[in-house]
Amino acid sequence: MSAAMAKVSVLRYRPEQDAVPVWQDYQVPYSDDMSVLTALNYIKDDLDGTLSLRWSCRQAICGSCGMMVNGKPALACKTFLRDYPEGIRVEALAHFPIERDLVVVMDGFMDKLQKVKPYIIPKQARALDEGEYLQTPEEMDLYAQFAGCINCGLCYAACPQVGLNPDFIGPGAIALLHRYNLDSRDGGSAERMALINSELGVFNCTAVGYCSEVCPKMVDPANAVNVNKVASARDYFFRFMRPAGEKGACR
Amino acid sequence: MSARKPYIRPMAGWWKRDPFFVEYMVHEGTAFFVWLYALELLAGVLCLAQGEAAWEAYRALLGSVPLLLANSVILAMMAYHGYTWFKIMPRTLPPMKLGGRRVAGATITALGLGAALVASVLLFGIVWMLTSGGAQ
Amino acid sequence: MQVFKADVVIVGAGGAGLRAAIAAAELDPAQTVALLSKVYPMRSHTVAAEGGAAGVVQAHDSLEHHFNDTVSGGDWLCEQDVVDYFVGECTREMVQLEHWGCPWSRKEDGHINVRPFGGMKIERTWFAADKTGFHILHTLFQTSLKYPSIRRFDEYFMLDLIVDDGRAQGVLAVEIASGEMVLIEAGAVVFATGGAGRVFRENTNGGIVTGDGMAVAYRHGVPLRDMEFVQYHPTCMPGTGLLFTEACRGEGGLLVNKDGYRYLQDYGLGPAEDKPRNKAMELGPRDRLSQAFWYEMQKGRTIDGRYGPVVHLDLRHLGAEKLHERLPQICELAREFMGVDPVTEPIPVRPAVHYTMGGIPVDVHCAASLPGLFAAGECSSVGIHGANRLGSNSLAELSVFGKVAGESATRYARSAKARNSANLLRLAEAAALPAQNLLRRDGSERIADIRREMAQTMEEGCGIYRLHDSMQATCDKLAELKRRYQNVHIEDRSSVWNSDWLLAIELGYQLDVAEAMAHSALNRRESRGAHQRLDGYEARDDVNFLKHSLAHYQAGRAPAISYGDVKITRSRPRVRAYGAAGEAAEKQQAGQEAKQ
Repeated sequence: MSAAMAKVSVLRYRPEQDAVPVWQDYQVPYSDDMSVLTALNYIKDDLDGTLSLRWSCRQAICGSCGMMVNGKPALACKTFLRDYPEGIRVEALAHFPIERDLVVVMDGFMDKLQKVKPYIIPKQARALDEGEYLQTPEEMDLYAQFAGCINCGLCYAACPQVGLNPDFIGPGAIALLHRYNLDSRDGGSAERMALINSELGVFNCTAVGYCSEVCPKMVDPANAVNVNKVASARDYFFRFMRPAGEKGACR
Repeated sequence: MSARKPYIRPMAGWWKRDPFFVEYMVHEGTAFFVWLYALELLAGVLCLAQGEAAWEAYRALLGSVPLLLANSVILAMMAYHGYTWFKIMPRTLPPMKLGGRRVAGATITALGLGAALVASVLLFGIVWMLTSGGAQ
Repeated sequence: MQVFKADVVIVGAGGAGLRAAIAAAELDPAQTVALLSKVYPMRSHTVAAEGGAAGVVQAHDSLEHHFNDTVSGGDWLCEQDVVDYFVGECTREMVQLEHWGCPWSRKEDGHINVRPFGGMKIERTWFAADKTGFHILHTLFQTSLKYPSIRRFDEYFMLDLIVDDGRAQGVLAVEIASGEMVLIEAGAVVFATGGAGRVFRENTNGGIVTGDGMAVAYRHGVPLRDMEFVQYHPTCMPGTGLLFTEACRGEGGLLVNKDGYRYLQDYGLGPAEDKPRNKAMELGPRDRLSQAFWYEMQKGRTIDGRYGPVVHLDLRHLGAEKLHERLPQICELAREFMGVDPVTEPIPVRPAVHYTMGGIPVDVHCAASLPGLFAAGECSSVGIHGANRLGSNSLAELSVFGKVAGESATRYARSAKARNSANLLRLAEAAALPAQNLLRRDGSERIADIRREMAQTMEEGCGIYRLHDSMQATCDKLAELKRRYQNVHIEDRSSVWNSDWLLAIELGYQLDVAEAMAHSALNRRESRGAHQRLDGYEARDDVNFLKHSLAHYQAGRAPAISYGDVKITRSRPRVRAYGAAGEAAEKQQAGQEAKQ
């Protein structure tokens, strides 16, 4: 029995033997429910054990398997061979350095997450014995979308400004920052404003908007970035308007 | 000694990589025509300040074939710029709610385009009325 | 070899590991907490938990109810004093997570909401839509960034535990990015490495769930407890095994066979009513529901699907709005992975391996028998799950006992004797040799072949129902696979991100854990909870087997199985009944207690 086969091309980069990345083709047995991840694991298990990739949950929630599929950022686990009858080209996520094969260097991204202070800075301290903070469904709805970010990095691979200036905090981390700013329990907006205003901040964004297009979780990071441009401008304006005494130690 | 040697891919020609980027660059490119039209208007204001002769010369120039052609190109480019601007608009606004429900991005775009269209027609009508009134 | 000196080292940065790290950092901000994980923390498998976490909040609920649901759900194989501690701490931990920002679903008045779950008398499952694990994990990870004393080692893979002077004093790990070895010395070691569900073929688990901590502790002489108890979740995606949360049924979803009949009523879970009733029908416990599926399959009343027999999980009557609000991820999974829209079609489902009830035995302070070693979360067996875990107890567990482990380890490390660093380095260098040799060896066995055969034989021998002969065959097969593993071939000889090498090491861990499971199962000659036999041991046998099984590692040989006592404080084993029968039994029990 000869089953249908599909061609999968992978951009390989093995730092100990390759000076630059090279394309390598594989043939995998095709089925209409086969994901790119399943195909890559078939390659890893049965054809070429030297292929390296990150993956775990298989259900688009752990955020490990972001990669470029035919040039577009995608999660391999929820991208299917059936949608690419012309064949598949898989490459490590754009705008990140390639560590090896489909694995990118995430260190910079992790540092950016840390920078946005992604934790509740309480508006009002509350002891555990007092129970939970009250938060209505409407208040929760304000930030819920931004809390859905799985840190997969697809938005960074979609953002040319991240590629051009790797120091830009970038869409995902700003979405996370925005998530905490919008949380009724949080009082840390002012603390986070310096970062928004800084050279790493929101004004690196030129409103390409592709980050939100590729987001697998409908987080809409472009919205977080652009709303914060307005917030930043307002902050600048009001700082200017305020009487000198309230400007703090400036000048 | 670590054998790590991360490879950084070049960004040269990045905008040709994806049709989305091409569209973005065209959108940004059409801003040039907005600038051109602003220059044109500025020239008109300057001519007006210089007196009637200059103003009439300016008007004559506007009526010439090359300028009519150029202005049609500018109009097309500005229309495209406006269209793509409204397309991105929902991404730049805080979430809007109507009757407890989030207004969809497509609705915001459609409303924006509609408003632009209505404003243009109104403006055109007012100018039409003023100019036809002036001719009497 | 690089050496890093910490006060406490935590292996695994999922829910339990992160909670432990935060607890350690809060108890003693001056100490250094090394938090090591083979993946970035937000990739840990806690992320995939969907339904919710238990914590008593409603006025008509009580700790006693939570205790009883847990102990009877576990078929009385629980450490009852530990369960008492656990149920007493759950709610406080849930509130703590709320204070840290976890977006728990709310009621209109702003208080948190709870939903019913299987095997639960009163609704007490806190939930964040159907992404509870995701939100807990991200809340804990993001909160952990506040603490400068937590030093993360992301993408470091544990190769061994370093034991000197009879105490755990550090771990040997490899930095995945460079392939370089690092010794992390510490006064105490916490394992929070998760379960081992990937030793089975069809499972809900992520690729990383390979029992690393269990195997490493086991090889150091720590027995593994109750390993035969492996939970099959009744509603999973055929083929991939991906999970459709119990919350589907908590919200009112129905299970029907090929005739559209709610078959659970035939298995002591009825009567079938229109309105969901707690602890009945679809809200029965996981083991019973998975077993009912098996019987339906034998009777030929299941539906033939592409990947074998299925039943239908019907959510249509819940309506699009509720599905979107309460079960968004379920809708996404069904649509994208199966092309099924739960609003208009029932979802084909079948049971798949979900959770490892057993693990590293620890006391209520999360201390293992090896001094200096602590464990929390799915890799541990603190004694609250018994023979079958109650849904929504695992997210609560990792929070409650993650905290305990972090604090216990901190206290232990503070009073620990000084370390002999030279000794530790020598031990670490010796411990690195097997992994290094694996890279140099010229074998001929493919890693994937051994892994697939292991998963197949585990499913055949240690599935929902078990027989002596098939369990024996599984034990024999595992012994054969362990022999063949000695000849395993690693194609990749490089040092940067060599996942071929790490997969081979993981496979070694998996084979040891699988063997502990199979032999524990073979030796338990009764049926209890998730361990059900059909070969003359169909009944629970409290006389001989109200005992924890303990699998002891024997290098080069099959594990030795011994038994330990179960701590029973006030709930004597009774008939474990659900549905109308359960309510009748409860009334009778109450009547008897009143008479006494």
